[in-house]
Amino acid sequence: MDLNFSKEDLDFQSEVREFLDKEYPKHIKEKMDNGDDLTRDEIVEWHKVVAKKGWMGHSWPVEHGGTGWDATKKYIYLRELAMEGCPMFIPFGLQMVAPVIWTFGSQKQKDYFLPRILNFDDWWCQGYSEPGSGSDLASLKCKAEKDGDEYVINGQKTWTTLGQHADWIFVLVRTDDSGKKQEGITFILVDMKTPGVSVKPIITIDGDHEVNEVWFDNVRVPAENVVGEPGQGWTYAKFLLFHERTSIAGAPQLRRGLRGLVKRAEKIFHNDSPLSEDPFFKSKVAQIELDLSALEMTELRGLAAEREGKGPGAESSLLKIKGTELQQRLTSLALEAAGHEALPFGGPYGFKDQEVSSSKAAQLTAAKYLNFRKVTIYGGTNEIQKNIIAKAVLGL
Amino acid sequence: MNLNFSDEQNLLRDSVSRFCTSDYDFETRMKSVNSDSGFSKEHWKLFADLGWLAVPFDEELGGLGGDVLDLSILFEEFGKSIVVEPYLANVVLAGGVLKRSGFDKKDEYLSSIVSGEKQFSLANYEPEKGYNLENIETVLDDKGLLNGTKSTVLNAPNADYFIVFSKKGDDFCFSLVSKDAEGLNLKSYKTYDGFVSGELTFENCKPEAIIQEKDALNNLEEVMKDAIVCISAEAVGAMEKCYRLTIEYTQQREQFGSPLSKFQALQHRMVDMFMETEYTKSFLLKVLATEDKDEKTKLIYGLKNQISKSGKLVGEEAVQLHGGMGVTEEMSIGHYLKRLMVIANIFGSADFYLQKYINS
Repeated sequence: MDLNFSKEDLDFQSEVREFLDKEYPKHIKEKMDNGDDLTRDEIVEWHKVVAKKGWMGHSWPVEHGGTGWDATKKYIYLRELAMEGCPMFIPFGLQMVAPVIWTFGSQKQKDYFLPRILNFDDWWCQGYSEPGSGSDLASLKCKAEKDGDEYVINGQKTWTTLGQHADWIFVLVRTDDSGKKQEGITFILVDMKTPGVSVKPIITIDGDHEVNEVWFDNVRVPAENVVGEPGQGWTYAKFLLFHERTSIAGAPQLRRGLRGLVKRAEKIFHNDSPLSEDPFFKSKVAQIELDLSALEMTELRGLAAEREGKGPGAESSLLKIKGTELQQRLTSLALEAAGHEALPFGGPYGFKDQEVSSSKAAQLTAAKYLNFRKVTIYGGTNEIQKNIIAKAVLGL
Repeated sequence: MNLNFSDEQNLLRDSVSRFCTSDYDFETRMKSVNSDSGFSKEHWKLFADLGWLAVPFDEELGGLGGDVLDLSILFEEFGKSIVVEPYLANVVLAGGVLKRSGFDKKDEYLSSIVSGEKQFSLANYEPEKGYNLENIETVLDDKGLLNGTKSTVLNAPNADYFIVFSKKGDDFCFSLVSKDAEGLNLKSYKTYDGFVSGELTFENCKPEAIIQEKDALNNLEEVMKDAIVCISAEAVGAMEKCYRLTIEYTQQREQFGSPLSKFQALQHRMVDMFMETEYTKSFLLKVLATEDKDEKTKLIYGLKNQISKSGKLVGEEAVQLHGGMGVTEEMSIGHYLKRLMVIANIFGSADFYLQKYINS
């Protein structure tokens, strides 16, 4: 056992740093460091920069254009990006639908979609949850009926993240409701420009428009867009969710966030000495740091297991729970640190630019805290993750 | 020992509760939140007509001569509907300072609070100066002019008058500044719980009057203690509503062929929310019932610590158990969390007050 990076790993780390130094667009970096929202074009631009370098497929097999990196390299790469504050990769194509396509898709689907995903030519979004089917996803009702070479989709999906920007959506539809609810679900790929697809914004408590309802009204989709076997969608859906959960632990982002907070705390005064010297605050920071070390190591173990061919399994639920809990502890501590300086809030109530004395960083803590309430809910609530661990890991 | 409320107190509770349940649903609240002033003038007039704006003031002013116990009754009911009208800013903060001052014209101004004709704000905190009340730089100089900046001025955009806490010579003082005063600049904003607030800068600004020159800090400390008790009572009301709304929601939301409320893991979470609320309510009552001044002060610091933790816990759990719907702007539950988080963090954090508790 050895936690040190090899010479090769260190060289690789320098290579990543050099890449970021040269290629990470300055105007995007400035916005990210400032906490400003990126436009769709800027998000695409960033992905294209990475794609040009050939580093989009950091967790893809070589045969599909992936980097073929080992666990350590992948870890180094993602950590460097996060520590530099780069935008997160939009995961819906890259980390979610791609593994489903290369594992279960047709040759035609692989040939068409995978290179486009790797090059970020298409923006993907996810059509899983429905108003009546959240935790109990398999009860979904959005219906697709076969009509010649096409499926006709009718129904509604919800919580579709960044659906307003998407070119494609992967959708779980019900093609048969005669058997068990897990049977008769089909995994299908839909072009968002197809007539009958509409996107309606959902405004969240942070005032943001990040999630959407997606409606399907007689949407006709070629039958060849079905991934794998019709009726087997539940198997693919679960396969995808395991991938989703590993990618939302976010340990490197936490590391960066914590570092930023500690630095800001040097200039925050709740009483006569800086918050960074306050024993209560220091104790909370230390506890987050300790948990973060364990989270990082758990993430590394997961990566190592993946490399040995053990794909992400129910253990990814552990990462999801622990990672998201930690994210919430951090955003909550940041809000507490900002205190009443965090009060000015544009959000849904108007007054967009708060040109008051309190720093932008302080003002952003409220929106961030509120935004991060979702993390223990999305990707399968943490309660559902515990059910999965109980059943699949502990055999209860 | 008597843990019962008086008949008058029960009447007050009933009256506020009736208004909140029949005339202040979530939609009505959001209408106020999304309006420019951030509150409803009709409601404010009603509050005046019902005598609520007079609760803590002397009977000569049409008041009820009530104390913080009476205020807490009102705030607990407000909390259940997260009432956004600026009661705290006008009656408890600004009114509290005026009431305790020796200002010879105070009755005139207090009357205008009681009648609801004029709006007031208290300006004491300053940007990046933290929560120690005496940690300020704004000065009222020898020429009687104010200079400095005040932040977190609750209700500032609506205020006709500001009560400004500043230094004067070696001591502190309160002065009264009209919103139209020369040299006064106001920047308004909304806060993340949907209330309105602002920042004031004074440049050689002449106050309309000096309200208090001696013992001003002491006055402010007393007022802030009342304010902490009031927002704590509000939080208790909000917490109670949070667990009730959560029970209601989980009873009607079905997943896996059964209401969510039937899952034991979730039942236990709601039991925790309930216990936390009751426990905090007990703490509040302990504070209210304590007579010894030093003991009471210490307990108020403890209360702010407790409320910051329990409000956060109950509010966050309520949102979590509402699932995706909980984080939407259109559902009320997220707004309870927002208000509870503001209550947790204004006037000082849980840790700040734990330290004060330890030191006192």
